[in-house]
Amino acid sequence: MTHTTCSHSAADIAVSVRDLRVTLGGQQVLRGVNIHLHRGQLVALIGPNGSGKTTLLRAMVGLQKPDSGDVRLFGESNLKKALPRVGYVPQRLALDRSFILSVREFLALRLRETQHWFWHRHRDTDDRLRAAMAELGAESLLDRPIAALSGGQLQRVLIVFALLKQPDLQLLDEPTAGVDSPGEESFYDLIGEVHRRHKLTVVLVSHDLSMVYRHASWVYALNGVVCCEGTPEHVMSADSLKEAYGLNVTPYQHHGHSHGPGGGTVQ
Amino acid sequence: MNIFSDIEPFMLRAFAVAVVMGPLCALLGVFVTARRMAFFSDTIAHGALAGIALGFLLGFEDPTWPMVLFSLLVAAAILWLKEHTDLLTDTIMALLLSGSVAFGIIVLSMLKNKRGELHRYLFGDILSVGPDDVWLAVVLCAAIGAWLFTKLSPLALLTASEDLAHVCGVRTRWLNYAFVLVLTVVVSLSIRLLGIILVTSLVVIPPAAARNLARNLRQQIILSLVIGLFGGAAGTVASYHWDIPCGPAIVMACIAVFIGSLLVSKLWLNRPTTA
Ligand SMILES: Nc1ncnc2c1ncn2[C@@H]1O[C@H](COP(=O)(O)OP(=O)(O)OP(=O)(O)O)[C@@H](O)[C@H]1O
Ligand SMILES: [Mg+2]
Repeated sequence: MTHTTCSHSAADIAVSVRDLRVTLGGQQVLRGVNIHLHRGQLVALIGPNGSGKTTLLRAMVGLQKPDSGDVRLFGESNLKKALPRVGYVPQRLALDRSFILSVREFLALRLRETQHWFWHRHRDTDDRLRAAMAELGAESLLDRPIAALSGGQLQRVLIVFALLKQPDLQLLDEPTAGVDSPGEESFYDLIGEVHRRHKLTVVLVSHDLSMVYRHASWVYALNGVVCCEGTPEHVMSADSLKEAYGLNVTPYQHHGHSHGPGGGTVQ
Repeated sequence: MNIFSDIEPFMLRAFAVAVVMGPLCALLGVFVTARRMAFFSDTIAHGALAGIALGFLLGFEDPTWPMVLFSLLVAAAILWLKEHTDLLTDTIMALLLSGSVAFGIIVLSMLKNKRGELHRYLFGDILSVGPDDVWLAVVLCAAIGAWLFTKLSPLALLTASEDLAHVCGVRTRWLNYAFVLVLTVVVSLSIRLLGIILVTSLVVIPPAAARNLARNLRQQIILSLVIGLFGGAAGTVASYHWDIPCGPAIVMACIAVFIGSLLVSKLWLNRPTTA
């Protein structure tokens, strides 16, 4: 279960989680999780509802205080210092509908050079934001109030927000939940492209095993602990899935095209 | 300046305080309303009454500092109870609001020579704005206003989502407390002008009116500042002109703008509601 096959140096480690334990509402949600990611990996995190995927991601960015254990991003245990290199798409964003922040303003808040966005609207920033939104086919949303977007539209904006500063590590918690299939396609294309261009490390939480199968290079199956890790082929075998989900799931079939894996998708 | 020469000095002082407090409350109000803290602001305003009464009880001639301190105490109590009990925030605030008012009224009624003060603090009294108050207001407003402007981006992000703000490097806990601190100080200092009962309106009405007309946060902030300035100025002038109480005059000026903005947005801009 360790990366004995990989010969990376310590400087290449993007994420290292050691024996992470988290209790929420009296329930041990994470019971000693160990995860080590090298830079440039595109890793999927799967597991049934309530298995602690969101909690793990929140702990990685310091939103969830662990009972014990150690989280390091790029070798840095002071997570605050590593955060400028991290992009995060939360699973749920409850926006207050009375807040009138526009999509353009929201995205500009992400860019350091527009700290004074209140006074200026830089042409450069505008171009950059439009280009970023266009990659997900969402440039028409720029002047809409962010609280008035549909679920999938908001999700697209959140993805753009996370990618905007070209971070080295992307933590994506079901980023395409509620996004239509063309949107999902362009999201995976975009992630794939950024991933190749920069040495981007991606942690992707998803229930869509066909997408995981197609795009991830390594898969962690979580259920309070990491019950299984390995290549998609390995983890998505019947035994592994059964161990993670605790029920019989038809294993994902590799052959044929990847849509509609028939029972391979666990909701 | 001879147009000012025949205006009473107390009137000028009230005007000066109103035109700095108005925009400052309005700017704070943009975030107060978006973060649903209007009732919070009302609670700390009412908490001030207990502070005023305590101040008199302890022999202060001018209870400004006890008032500010007690409001801060109430704010801290709200935050503490919110974190350490399962009570709903509404419940906590209603409890502290009525508790402070009851305590304040009992103490004031025991202090025979201070009974008249109740009315003055409940409804505001421009006569009580002294030259020192003007300086205090101007210096504080300048400092707080400057701080707010440097924190507009983090505050906007915090209002949108605390989690995202954290990941973007905003020290969310610290900023939350700083915002409450600033709000408490500004609200309790505005009590002189508007009174405990009306002070929240200066925080709530200008951003609400601006919200009717704005398309984005930037516009809402600018409009809110302008409306706060107008409300403060028009209210004090009207109060002088028609010899009506100053606080209510400021509130009515803001309400007039609000009604105007509502009509414009419904009839003219035909803006679909998102709220
Ligand atoms: N704030 C909280 N208080 C109490 N319990 C919580 C809290 N947040 C999460 N939990 C519990 O922790 C467990 C793990 O939750 P988590 O959100 O990490 O699951 P998940 O794997 O992301 O699930 P999903 O697939 O539904 O998103 C769940 O049992 C949940 O009930
Ligand atoms: Mg989740």
